[in-house]
Amino acid sequence: MTETVKITIDGQDYHVPKGMNLVDAAKLHGIEIPTFCYHPKMSPAGMCRMCLVELGSVQKDRESGEVLVDENGEPLVRWFPTLQTACTQTVHDGMVVRTQTERVAEGRSSIVEFLLTSHPLDCPTCDKGGECGLQELTMEYGPGESKFRYEDKHHAEKHVPLGDLIILDRERCILCARCVRYCDELVGEPVLGFHNRGRDLVIETVSDPPFDTVFSGNTTDICPVGALTTADFRFGARPWEMDPVPTICPHCPVGCNLTADTRLSADFGGKRAIKRIMPRQNEAVNEIWICDKGRFGHHHSRAEGRLRQPLMRRDGELVPVSWDEALATVAEKLVQHGSKAFFAAGHSLANEDLWELRKLARQTSRRAKLGLCPATVSGAQAVQQAGVGVGTRLQDLGAGDALLVIASDLYEHAPLWWLQVKQAAERGATVVVANARPTKLDRYAAHTVRYRYGEAARVLHNFAAMALRNDKLDAELLSARVEGWDALEEELKGSRVPAEQKSAAEALLEAQNLVVLAGNDGMGFEQHAELMQAAANLLIVSGHVGRANNGLVAVWPGANTQGALDMGFTSEAVGEAWEKPPAMWVLAEADPLGEDARMAQAFDQADFVVVAAQFLTATARRADVVLPVQSFAEREGTFTNGMRRVQRFYVAQSPLEGTLPAWKAFARLTERVKDGPKPFVAAEQVMQEITEKLAPYAEMSYANLAHVEEQFPPIRRDDLYYGGTAYENTGGLGLQWRTDAESPRKRLSVRPVERSARRWEGLLAVPLRVLYDRALPFAASALMDGHVPAPYAELNAEDAAALGVAEGDRIALEAGAARVELTARVNGHAPQGVVLVPQHLGDVLIAAPETCVVQKIEE
Amino acid sequence: MNLIRGFATTIKHLLEEPVTVQYPEEERPVRERFKGRHVLKRYENGLERCIGCALCAAACPAGAIWVEAAENTDEERYSPGERYAKVYEINMLRCIFCGYCADACPTQAIVLEHEYRLSFTDRRDAIYTKAQLLEPPPSGAADTPQQTEPGQFTRAIPEMEDPR
Ligand code: SF4
Ligand code: SF4
Ligand code: SF4
Ligand code: SF4
Ligand code: FES
Repeated sequence: MTETVKITIDGQDYHVPKGMNLVDAAKLHGIEIPTFCYHPKMSPAGMCRMCLVELGSVQKDRESGEVLVDENGEPLVRWFPTLQTACTQTVHDGMVVRTQTERVAEGRSSIVEFLLTSHPLDCPTCDKGGECGLQELTMEYGPGESKFRYEDKHHAEKHVPLGDLIILDRERCILCARCVRYCDELVGEPVLGFHNRGRDLVIETVSDPPFDTVFSGNTTDICPVGALTTADFRFGARPWEMDPVPTICPHCPVGCNLTADTRLSADFGGKRAIKRIMPRQNEAVNEIWICDKGRFGHHHSRAEGRLRQPLMRRDGELVPVSWDEALATVAEKLVQHGSKAFFAAGHSLANEDLWELRKLARQTSRRAKLGLCPATVSGAQAVQQAGVGVGTRLQDLGAGDALLVIASDLYEHAPLWWLQVKQAAERGATVVVANARPTKLDRYAAHTVRYRYGEAARVLHNFAAMALRNDKLDAELLSARVEGWDALEEELKGSRVPAEQKSAAEALLEAQNLVVLAGNDGMGFEQHAELMQAAANLLIVSGHVGRANNGLVAVWPGANTQGALDMGFTSEAVGEAWEKPPAMWVLAEADPLGEDARMAQAFDQADFVVVAAQFLTATARRADVVLPVQSFAEREGTFTNGMRRVQRFYVAQSPLEGTLPAWKAFARLTERVKDGPKPFVAAEQVMQEITEKLAPYAEMSYANLAHVEEQFPPIRRDDLYYGGTAYENTGGLGLQWRTDAESPRKRLSVRPVERSARRWEGLLAVPLRVLYDRALPFAASALMDGHVPAPYAELNAEDAAALGVAEGDRIALEAGAARVELTARVNGHAPQGVVLVPQHLGDVLIAAPETCVVQKIEE
Repeated sequence: MNLIRGFATTIKHLLEEPVTVQYPEEERPVRERFKGRHVLKRYENGLERCIGCALCAAACPAGAIWVEAAENTDEERYSPGERYAKVYEINMLRCIFCGYCADACPTQAIVLEHEYRLSFTDRRDAIYTKAQLLEPPPSGAADTPQQTEPGQFTRAIPEMEDPR
């Protein structure tokens, strides 16, 4: 239980958590204190003075501490002589507040009147009109009439693009500095600032490129007026005209809860289109924030290039055919190839799709293999054992807790987690960042650990060795339920731990709660398997498993790698397919030919290739049959995020004619293969079957996933001034499945990990994932084009000098089967002997580290 | 007696001017404030008054109006300010001619005028598009979209006198 204090508001006594902000404390009990500049997720600034209240405290006897009372027995209150700003007050015992007096009303009304002297009469054209904090508070507390002369109204520039995504209207800005503070404080990227003074004070962007953060869109939500608007929505519709549909971001493992605001649209043939994407509150996932990829990366769903008809290869050409014909042909081929057919899923398919694909595979052959593309991750078992406890919220970690981020560039791979880890660091949590190269998070790390590529698992092994050495083991857990400890202990004993790792390990092992966020930066799936096991080892031996705010978070690629692993799709299976190329491929939203040059040979001898896709990807172009499937916006489904939270998304946009949800396409195929079962009608039935057949998902019925609870701070549509225009959660908070560590009966296992790093000769090309890339389907959201860099490679200064390459030079890079031309960047990011190559910027078909040859291209 | 009175009335009316008009050959002028079909008005410079704010649609009790807005640029300007109506439709079968839309309009863009000949053989014809509703540009003024000087039409709602 948190400590509480007693405060009195408007004559009523309330118990509120100690140290809480007065505005929040009042809100907790349903008492409105209007604010403009205060936001519950940020520290107060006291700039707007809308939150004025009468404030006092009960008098106490200095010696005895007794409350002094007047002759009627009422406590004596010492009042401040003037109105005080509530947002700058922290509650304390004996605080007395009046929010409803005439003086307060007058104060508020004057502030509104004053603000309106420099505010335009824009409501009819303003995008915030209808969901505006200023409108709201003016109606509620404003004077109704102004004493100011209309001609003296302040005029300012109305169209100031802050970059290509956000546009500022300086006339509407009330200078509350929420946007500035959001960037400075919350995100730590001071890209906005104030300029000039007094009446000429304006907001401007101070970064180059302008508004250079991936969280820029959030400022439009918390701006209490319509001063900040998003380029893709501007004037798209009035807020009251749209239907909000809960959905989930399909771009990364965070699984941000979104609301798609939808409306019929002439541009979309009179059908329902997504007008804008807004955050939806889920305090355990994204709170009320999303990154710009989630906010602006939905346009692909209605993009030109979407496939609208099944295609079949005839005389070497892909030609449109009917669904019936396409399905019949594929089914026939499946029967023909039987166990020689190979099934592979992409990392952003819904669970329902994965399940039906798995059923199709099983129907085709009992021995069918299920592959996961890109084949770069592993570690399902580590997650199952040591995944973060149910109820974990990164925002609950602070002083006394620790977070270890290893082999992940969170800013690029899972922006919201980056934000939350950064904030945890600022609350006092110990953050350790281990990577072979510098990342943006290093700034907030108490310890940074650098390892050589290939040695990530060894770092975690060493940390576990430190747990043994410093007696930080959970002996009880180890003796009761852990298998393989003896063998691991033997190995740990013999480990030599470098000094920098020692101090980092000690800092981590001191912590009460420990969360490890592990990615797959710069490794293939074999190494990733070891890394994940090493993470599980560390967490299990030190006892940081089985409870909330402890355990392993997998920073997977894509939105639903976790779901794919849960359904039995693995990278290892794809690895086998390289070795022994299958005769037939069935690929669902997977594009191996578009990301990995090694895959080409595996397709060479294939007799038949089937691709289910939204776009004509590189793999689809090689296919014999292409099935057009629907985007996340057009159908129902669920994703499982990197914290194993299964979350539901709903139908937002009218489906393109001629397309099917992938699960339905697979179900119809299953029906045609050896008299398979009849397809389900609704996605809900598919999930029902999953709950019956897949143990961890037993609780994941659509009804359970749709469950919502009240969250704090309250985000609602009726007090927009407070939290902003993020949506309240009506679609469900989702559910995490339980790890083995959380079931007291289940046994856990540890084992020594492979940690001798492969040495390489010459240069090693290491592929990187970057947030804004040209991978489909995201790339089809043309709005973000300007943010995707041209293909480049990062080189170490020494290597560059040896190659005679300078910043900006063109280079040719050859790694295995991949050959690509890139622009060189010599910026100190790449360790010596390594060329960092961001994937998906052009034809960079390097999926795992590989030795390479670099040559300067002479102009 | 009653008979005579009856005939007297008939004869009196026979001598009066007939009120029947030979519609459609002949039309009777409507009253000044008659509310007929809507017209979307323009300013003297030809720019559309409508700024696509959809307040008319919000006010309409019959849900007869559909507005989709878009952004003006100085190269392609339809109305003053940043916003204009890209799609503007009224379904005349739904409209009850109450005039609330005209009352709600902040720029007096939508006005119920005197056209009352509204009959259709297809329901779809009852949906009037923006092109049908928009009045022609005043003589001498250009049609929209116009190319305009930057900074000339920055505000959607013309400067008002003291709004009190
Ligand atoms: S742009 Fe919005 S959030 Fe930023 S200072 Fe102005 S009113 Fe506040
Ligand atoms: S952080 Fe990830 S899940 Fe959230 S909006 Fe961004 S891409 Fe989507
Ligand atoms: S006249 Fe009345 S019913 Fe007709 S469009 Fe206007 S508001 Fe709607
Ligand atoms: S007619 Fe008037 S109320 Fe309707 S959208 Fe146009 S400006 Fe707004
Ligand atoms: S001063 Fe308290 S909310 Fe602005």
